Amino acid sequence: MNETVDAVIIGTGAGGAPLLARLAAAGLSVVALEAGKQWNPAKDFATDERSQEKLFWNDERLSAGNDPIPFGNNNSGTGVGGSTLHYTAYTPRAQPDDLQIRSEFGVGEDWPFGFDQIEPYYTEVEQFIGVSGPSPYPWGPMRQKGYALGPLPLNGAGQLMERGCREIGIKTSPAANAALSAGYYQEGVGYRPACTNRGFCQAGCNNGAKASMDVTFIPLAVHHGAEVRPECFVTQFVRDASGKITEVIYSRNGQEERQKCRFVFLCAGAVETPRLLLMNGLANSSGQVGRNVMAHMGLQIWGEFDEDVRPYKGIPGSLISEDMHRPHNADFVGGYLLQSIGVMPVTYISQMARGRGLWGQNLKRAAAAYNHVAGINILGDCLPYEHNFLELSDEKDIRGLPKPRIYFSNGDNEKRMTAHADKVMREIWDTAGAKNVWAFPRNAHIIGTCRMGNDREKSVVNADGQSFDIPNLYISDNSTFPSALSVNPVLTIMALALRTADRFLEKSKE
Amino acid sequence: MSIPKYPPNTVRSLLSTDYVTDVTRQVLTERLSAPSRQPEFFSAAEYSLLETVCHRLIPQDDGLQIIEIWGSIDDRLAENKSNGWRYDTMPTDHEAYRRGLAGLEESAQGLFQQPFQRLSSDQQDHILSLVQTGDAPGDTWKTMPSERFFEEMLAEAVENYYSHPLVQEMIGYVGMADQPAWNRLGLNNLEDREPRQI
Repeated sequence: MNETVDAVIIGTGAGGAPLLARLAAAGLSVVALEAGKQWNPAKDFATDERSQEKLFWNDERLSAGNDPIPFGNNNSGTGVGGSTLHYTAYTPRAQPDDLQIRSEFGVGEDWPFGFDQIEPYYTEVEQFIGVSGPSPYPWGPMRQKGYALGPLPLNGAGQLMERGCREIGIKTSPAANAALSAGYYQEGVGYRPACTNRGFCQAGCNNGAKASMDVTFIPLAVHHGAEVRPECFVTQFVRDASGKITEVIYSRNGQEERQKCRFVFLCAGAVETPRLLLMNGLANSSGQVGRNVMAHMGLQIWGEFDEDVRPYKGIPGSLISEDMHRPHNADFVGGYLLQSIGVMPVTYISQMARGRGLWGQNLKRAAAAYNHVAGINILGDCLPYEHNFLELSDEKDIRGLPKPRIYFSNGDNEKRMTAHADKVMREIWDTAGAKNVWAFPRNAHIIGTCRMGNDREKSVVNADGQSFDIPNLYISDNSTFPSALSVNPVLTIMALALRTADRFLEKSKE
Repeated sequence: MSIPKYPPNTVRSLLSTDYVTDVTRQVLTERLSAPSRQPEFFSAAEYSLLETVCHRLIPQDDGLQIIEIWGSIDDRLAENKSNGWRYDTMPTDHEAYRRGLAGLEESAQGLFQQPFQRLSSDQQDHILSLVQTGDAPGDTWKTMPSERFFEEMLAEAVENYYSHPLVQEMIGYVGMADQPAWNRLGLNNLEDREPRQI
């Protein structure tokens, strides 16, 4: 451990793992420090929501603003693989105009490069992890390659959404999911079995069919010689006179340890990445660390159906529509996609308690309908605002570190988009025959606290993910997204991680 | 749609089959046989009041064994566990439960001049409704938004209750019996091991 490694990667989720594999494959000596545990899903993951709470980042965060964002079971993760251990595996690509929101509408922020810079990496990631989806895919530009595997089977919620949408003229398609519809051989890793439709993506896949990082990029990285150190919580950095980071300090089993390194890649997600920088007073000459918190609009519309739905079966995100990417009658900027949703009982009934305020006999009656419920939700682009940011609070957590406080309030644009989606989804459900329809407003996916851009006054990192202030510090996770995109972030995080790694490797050659 | 009802003993019989993985069987069996718990965080009086409140939030009148959802709340607080976040307008979870339970007593005294647990079910529900909407009387509620206290307590009670295998049986959930796979997907398409409504 006294030896200096080429790079330390902090965090092993969708931002860290692909990059770790890429650097290791290039022959660099790399160490990944992961706060959480290394799990053995077959032995450790029960099909039980309660016991799987261990996959969530459960150190307390403070949620402020008009629309406080829940963390824990959403918007966070821990363990080797990060929050990909419990992501829904939805992997749509961003569309080219998602990266140009300012050019198109005059608000928000453009990405510092175009779609052509990210597209080859989309293809590479989809082929490597084995994304299942329809080919051709009905929306977005023509593709170089179809999905690696055909789509997963539609479940009850997917069939109902398809029925409603067909009737009112909204185009749908089986979704792209990073769960295998057939066994798949992954180069450098080996064989992964097909999805068994157990519907438990959001609480941990137990057979490796879902492409979480622990069964894809992490084993690839280890195959190429990377070292992964679980249960190592990074707290500080040592810098030399020139300001470069020379050592990373972390705590393992309550003991302080250090790792010397030439480069640091911070991949801890859009809450822990800015928190670590703010705690250390680093990389913030722009004053932008922690600013521009964005969170996708994720309004859910639930309904009860006469049919037996059994919402615990099948991939939760079964059917998609991107017809609302730029709806022609829109009174808002950007757009959203529609997804059918399956759900586990504790999650569903807990949301019903919070969202509808049901208790007593009313709650029990509504809960008894669980086997007959199906949902649709949106994933909507969200603009950055001055009033949405992350800061360090005065309150300390169990590690003695300041708890982060995250302010979030939807702006007018977000409210208008949500109202539009509310109407569309209710129409779909009414047409499909839903009763007792109810709405659960929510925001999901924390994005944008260390913006990337070309202007060092307004951004934390450049287009390659490199800090403007500390040249041997890179950031690779959803914190660098200049805009939120109208799709689930994980595929873009992985693609961007590979791009960041390649840019870094090219620069190192110079 | 009438309220769906399912046969008893579905989850319990599935637990001994190969439809359930070892680790799933282990955690659910433990939960089924969890012993009754003496409070560690709450005082005896607080614990008893919390039990009364939980019975109003989730009436357990189905003839099932009583699920001690208040015990899991005490356990979490005693263990200092968090669910990863809290509303910035709220004090710590420990403080919120202490103050909230005291606030319920205060509201009971203010409205009915009696301890909460001496009130009729209707009176108790009346107070809880006022707490839920932020309209309950008492100085306590000036220090903490009562509607958030109610929401947090309700969500935790619901999560504890519906995590229990006996309750999952009642709503016809057998998602834990997922081995080797679910092959019948889609509407009205059930595997033999999935319970039918009665």
